[in-house]
Amino acid sequence: MEDRQELVEKHGDHWLRALTDVRVFELQLAEMHKAGSSVLGAVHLGIGQEAVAVGVAGQLIPGDQITVSHRGHGPMLARGLDPERMYAEILGRVSGYCGGKGGSMHIACPAEGVAGANGIVGGGIPMALGIAKAAKELGTGNVGVPIFGDGAANTGAFAETLNLAAVWEAPVVFVCENNGYGQFTPTDAVTGGPGIFTRGEGFGVPGVEVDGEDVVAVHVEMAAALERARAGEGPTLLECRTTRWHGHHEGDERYAGEYRPAPSREGDPIKRLAAEMDELGLEGGAKAEAAEADSRKRLEAAMEAALAAPEPAPETAMTGVYV
Amino acid sequence: MSSANQTAVSPANRLAPAIRDAIAQQMRGDDRVLFWGEDIRTGVMSTSQGLVDEFGPERVIDTPISEGAFLGAALGAAANGLRPIVEIMYSSFFYVAFDQLVNQIGRARYMTDGQVTAPLTVIAATGASGFAAQHSDASYPMLMNAGGLRIVFPSTPHQAFWLTRAALRSDDPVIVLNQPALAGAKGEIRDEPMELGDVEVTTHGEDVSVYAIGLMAVRARKVAKRLAEEGIGVEVVDVCSLSPFPVEAIVASVRRTGRAVVVDEARLACSAASEISATIAEAAFDALEAPIERVAVPNVFIPYAPPLEAHVIPQEADIEAAIRKVLA
Repeated sequence: MEDRQELVEKHGDHWLRALTDVRVFELQLAEMHKAGSSVLGAVHLGIGQEAVAVGVAGQLIPGDQITVSHRGHGPMLARGLDPERMYAEILGRVSGYCGGKGGSMHIACPAEGVAGANGIVGGGIPMALGIAKAAKELGTGNVGVPIFGDGAANTGAFAETLNLAAVWEAPVVFVCENNGYGQFTPTDAVTGGPGIFTRGEGFGVPGVEVDGEDVVAVHVEMAAALERARAGEGPTLLECRTTRWHGHHEGDERYAGEYRPAPSREGDPIKRLAAEMDELGLEGGAKAEAAEADSRKRLEAAMEAALAAPEPAPETAMTGVYV
Repeated sequence: MSSANQTAVSPANRLAPAIRDAIAQQMRGDDRVLFWGEDIRTGVMSTSQGLVDEFGPERVIDTPISEGAFLGAALGAAANGLRPIVEIMYSSFFYVAFDQLVNQIGRARYMTDGQVTAPLTVIAATGASGFAAQHSDASYPMLMNAGGLRIVFPSTPHQAFWLTRAALRSDDPVIVLNQPALAGAKGEIRDEPMELGDVEVTTHGEDVSVYAIGLMAVRARKVAKRLAEEGIGVEVVDVCSLSPFPVEAIVASVRRTGRAVVVDEARLACSAASEISATIAEAAFDALEAPIERVAVPNVFIPYAPPLEAHVIPQEADIEAAIRKVLA
């Protein structure tokens, strides 16, 4: 394994751009919501969580599949989906990935490695095991990667799937994004045990706690888990500790008081990487600024194109149930 | 008939073995077919008996008692190149995995605008067989309402073989139900393939149409045979395909007879019988010469003691009484 400095030198520029793309993609939705847009439905943003998206989904190979939660724009972008088609789906346009049938919570493009976002907390975890089972049976060398929140860690689907993944020695990397809140409830108030990452151990699935605001750390642990999975050594559970800057959904302003404090933005994964690059003389600050300008330009164009796309024909609501 | 069909016909002459034979044939011809579920190596449900001996534990896979995980895994596997078969012992156990069955499997294709194709088959026993309220539900009306799942419920070995075969060849998720009391039901498997969506007129008659499902169809046929001796012509329409709902086939029979009795092992409220009755009332009201009669389980649960179970499950006498009522 390359050491940290080598990784930053090698991937830093790309990571900065990828993190910034995810951030700006969602900031534009937040701004749109704030401006009172009438075309935007419910959106759940993962601003602050970009390092998990990029560190996990950014290093997958063709044929690998992720499932993501209702807060899944970041991993889908990092997996390589087209921002314009994602915006179009979020805005209910015909050019969206699901022709407007899915919306923000149900974007999918299996052909490009996104088996699907999911409106049900924990709902996509078993599917990811099946993806891995197929990869193993067919000898493709691919993996299934369920990316889910701390809330999903308290579902039966998670526990059942951990066990079955261990039994099947399936190439699965379970990625829990622990962002501190499940909807409007602090994770700690509803989560037992010393940490979600320890929940794999009882099933024979190694668990790792990761600083989820450090893209380098996420990348390193994900790379190790992927290596294990592809080598036929079975599943791994990563718990990435991160922070949800915004509310449960846009427009949610319920952070208040001791029980539901507004999350700290100190751990900003973009600023952290930029500062580290600055220390190494890699001009992180300047590159981050340039990346933001570039992201803005591209993603504004993507948003404009999505807004200009037509809405789906109403009768398409009647198609696509069966083959 | 083609020779291909002749070689496909199962030698089994009992219902559950006919399902098993259809599975075995498909597994022989296609390595992508894996079968997983609880106790299927042991073959506790006769639909899986003996399969592990031929196909080995890599393809006939015992699962933990985690219906949600292994149903959901079937979706991911089916969408990525396998053709899994999943056994859920009793359809009452769907309830512990309803999210995966209804919200994930049933609507993956629609939500993704056709991007996901999930060729998977779920085999499940359904209906009362002495195990009381938590094992005995005829739960298919809920799944008919949920949508996105093709559902068949054969009552003869012939239907069981051909409909299972069609299910395994379908690229959609299909649920194949079987009534445990009919596992050993005898009958010839004819060289006449059936397709998903087919219903079968198993007894012809001119006076009244009796629409019946699963075990109820078997009982309806017995009643029809008896009443034929009295000169009453009962047409039994075995509604062995429940979803998508076979509207045209349902309406055709009552248009001929003008009278309808609908028999269902599900609870009456929002039952398949209700859907059949509503369909007839909407599409063939002008042909009706008497009000439609529904015969179904009253809105209680399936009790344990045999006399209690028999009291709530429609019996031949209940079917006969309903027929006489619509003919009166």
